[in-house]
Amino acid sequence: MNCYIRATGNISPQLTAGHPPFLAGPLQEYTGTRMNCAEPDYKDLIDVKLIRRMSRIIRMGVAAATECLQEAGVSMPDAIVTGTAYGCLEDTGHFISRMVSQNEELLTPTAFIQSTHNTIGAQIGLMLKCNRYNNAFVHRGFSFESALLDAMMLLQEEEAQHVLVGGIDEITDYSHTILSRMGLYRRGHASNLDLLEQPSRGTMAGEGAAFFLVASERSATDYARLDGLATLYKPDGPAVIEQKLNSFLEANQLDFSDIDLVINGRNGDLKHDQVYDELKALQICPQVSYKQLCGEYPTSTAFAVWMAANILKSGDLPPLLAPSVAEQEKINRILIYNQYGNIHHSFVLLSAC
Amino acid sequence: MVKLMSDLKSQIIAQLNLQDVKPEEIGDDQPLFVDGLGLDSIDALELIVLLQQEYKIKLSNAEDGPKVFKTVRTMAEYIKAHQAQNA
Repeated sequence: MNCYIRATGNISPQLTAGHPPFLAGPLQEYTGTRMNCAEPDYKDLIDVKLIRRMSRIIRMGVAAATECLQEAGVSMPDAIVTGTAYGCLEDTGHFISRMVSQNEELLTPTAFIQSTHNTIGAQIGLMLKCNRYNNAFVHRGFSFESALLDAMMLLQEEEAQHVLVGGIDEITDYSHTILSRMGLYRRGHASNLDLLEQPSRGTMAGEGAAFFLVASERSATDYARLDGLATLYKPDGPAVIEQKLNSFLEANQLDFSDIDLVINGRNGDLKHDQVYDELKALQICPQVSYKQLCGEYPTSTAFAVWMAANILKSGDLPPLLAPSVAEQEKINRILIYNQYGNIHHSFVLLSAC
Repeated sequence: MVKLMSDLKSQIIAQLNLQDVKPEEIGDDQPLFVDGLGLDSIDALELIVLLQQEYKIKLSNAEDGPKVFKTVRTMAEYIKAHQAQNA
């Protein structure tokens, strides 16, 4: 299968917007229980007349997609595919709270119109005047993976040559409060830079918008090649995960010794990180984590794919990411293994072009 | 009338989230839609809600919309006429 990552656009809690050198500067530190995105000046990327109607997540998504398309030099993708678990929460909260406070009367249309899960993909389509395939996947912890799988299938079946695909989720005050009550996040204040060194109950909330332009034809400026993707829902113990992982690698004619780097989805939550420890077969591979950079959210695999794409393009691991494994040989193949709540497990395989 | 038009300009900016637009930059007779302030059909719905929220006026006939929402002045005249009717 030919699926090349030609361009990326990423708005995250790190300084990733605008394609600065990959994780070259000091990492952004967040204390507390949430990591909000470091947002760019949107006026440079989006028409001001359109910005006024966009909530934060729409701005993040549209801006990341715009950066991605600009880098690719593609003005009209053959398809736009997005993945989001929570959708446009701010607009949803705004609309629902007004329904209550105004007794279901005098409701303004904008928040309602913008509150659907496909708003970002639709907004990108409207901006580009792109009437082609446009789909949004809302599958909890598999939302981005489903979008990516759809993009890969569109290329494989020759329905498209260029697909814009992205994963987007936001934290709002409402969602953070509700998810905190459900025990997802830590109590008290901690630093994201110590998130993995000091495992505890709960993790830190994160958010982000990462877009990719994937193409069926190779070009000289590609970041990486996407070789495979697999998902596993509610596995019954580590043996099942290892079995799935083995069959995934076998399907790609690989074994663990062929993997130069594993990017794992550890988030500092004792309960869920145990899953990574129990996968003995993975332990032979050098590993780095990424959620200390972006926090935990259902589409965080998109951040991991962005990270993997950048590592494969340069061939090196930034010392900031993992000083202990920075001295190894050129990285040619990366496996991303992430799990969200020990329910949604996914594997993404990428290689250097 | 001047006070009402000034209030309307601030309310329109707030309701429609018109970034970088100041009340004094909106002319009393400047068209609100298309070439003027560049508003569109979604904004028209927001303006209908604004009239209901701020002035308790329900636009009874949708066909009046283009005439009522033509400029800030026509909006103010419609509000004044409605208030006089109900006085």
